[in-house]
Amino acid sequence: MDLDEIEILLVEDNPTDAELTMRALKKKNLTNNLVWVKDGAEALEFLFATGSYSKRNIEGIPKLILLDLRMPKVDGLEVLQRIKKDERTKKIPVVILTSSKEDKDIVESYELGVNSYVSKPVEFDEFTEAVSTLGLYWMLLNKPPE
Amino acid sequence: MTVNLRINLQEKGRIVAIVITLVLFSFLTCYFQFRFGKLPISSLSSLAYLPNSSHPSYLSCFSIILTSAWWKKKRIWFAPAFLTILLILIQLLFVTFAFQRFTDYFFLVMFIFVIVIVAFLGERIEKVKSLSDLNEKLDKEKEKLEDANKELDAFAYSVSHDLRVPLRAIDGFSRILIEDYEDKLDEEGKRLINIVRGNTMKMGQLIDDILQLSRVGRQEMKISEINMEALVKNVFGELKSSIHKNIVLEVKSLPPAYGDRILIKQILINLLSNSIKFTKPGETPVIEVGSENGIDETIYYVRDHGVGFDMKYVNKLFGLFQRLHSQEEFEGTGVGLSIVQRIIRRHGGRVWGEGKVDGGATIYFTLPK
Repeated sequence: MDLDEIEILLVEDNPTDAELTMRALKKKNLTNNLVWVKDGAEALEFLFATGSYSKRNIEGIPKLILLDLRMPKVDGLEVLQRIKKDERTKKIPVVILTSSKEDKDIVESYELGVNSYVSKPVEFDEFTEAVSTLGLYWMLLNKPPE
Repeated sequence: MTVNLRINLQEKGRIVAIVITLVLFSFLTCYFQFRFGKLPISSLSSLAYLPNSSHPSYLSCFSIILTSAWWKKKRIWFAPAFLTILLILIQLLFVTFAFQRFTDYFFLVMFIFVIVIVAFLGERIEKVKSLSDLNEKLDKEKEKLEDANKELDAFAYSVSHDLRVPLRAIDGFSRILIEDYEDKLDEEGKRLINIVRGNTMKMGQLIDDILQLSRVGRQEMKISEINMEALVKNVFGELKSSIHKNIVLEVKSLPPAYGDRILIKQILINLLSNSIKFTKPGETPVIEVGSENGIDETIYYVRDHGVGFDMKYVNKLFGLFQRLHSQEEFEGTGVGLSIVQRIIRRHGGRVWGEGKVDGGATIYFTLPK
């Protein structure tokens, strides 16, 4: 896969959740250019082309970032803050996709400039529906700045 | 001669005064010893928060008062100093005046008076001291409670997040098993997997309900005037759009309530959805919401004509996880009415229920006017 032409960046530490998310997106053919990173630190390395991703072209930004909140090393809110603070990345739509329904998390995410906040449903059909709907919306319906 | 006699009389008086004073003083000493377990002076020095309160002599106590850092604490600092100095003065006065020619009886009365005041003040100060000790203890307890609350918050957070993840995996992958291996699974296999999924759903609901219960307890309340009639209709409208039952709502004219809008709305959601749930087809599909005027409270009620309950079990109605119907009859986790009770109690109100098997149920709750 060409790491410079990524469409969706999935930041998720839990492999089963990642598999379920990718399965839901695959049903809508949205996984061709998807990269899954396993924690916040790796997400930042990918986005800013440092560490193990230092050979990547920093210009190639994803069209959508799906971000989990609670992750080891660097948590989702910190990743979000770094993305929205940086001129190069602040225009990328970020959707928080998390198990947390805590008001505190929702408020903080929006204060940091998140584009959408989705709480993962426990039930499989609802989960698949939620993930594929948001995938279609952000990848096809939404018009990003050129 | 007359002059001598007068002197003799006065000297007798002085001796009597000295004896009475000494007796009185030893009694007072005993009293202090009994009351505070200390001698008067050491008891005073302990009142001044002195590090060492076992000094029997006036002088050592006095020097400690002068040299210690106790006065930096600024708490009732003047009282023990004042009392100590007063006692020393009294002793000096006693020595001086006892051998003077006049005012013996006057001095005796004054001395008793001062000693009584000292005793009285000593007791008062002891009380003030124990009060401030209690306050300190209370502050510490408060801190402990705040810590415990924070821990509870963290717990609720991790429940909401961490327990959902494995649940989603169980549900998701058993579903994937059905989807991807449909041809290899027979009917019984599918039934078994569906049992797994059904139970995952129940656990998910349980986690959500417990979280809501804990949120009700810690959310800050914003009290405002609430138009109850409008809120009841609004909530019922929302609930009705998601069910397939033909149920009619009858709202009598309701006085406004004073409370937290979000929490009061939660009460109505729980009560009305209960009424909808327990109204089976064939029963009168009417839910009544009304009110009565209490002395300093308004009594609201939600009445249905559904399956009702046996008054024998009324004490279990608001218990956490307590259910009066089986899971097959009506789904539920037994948290709804606990939440109602918790919210009402936070508002300083009361809540109770009345019911009859197959005769409907009425839940009453009060809110202050």
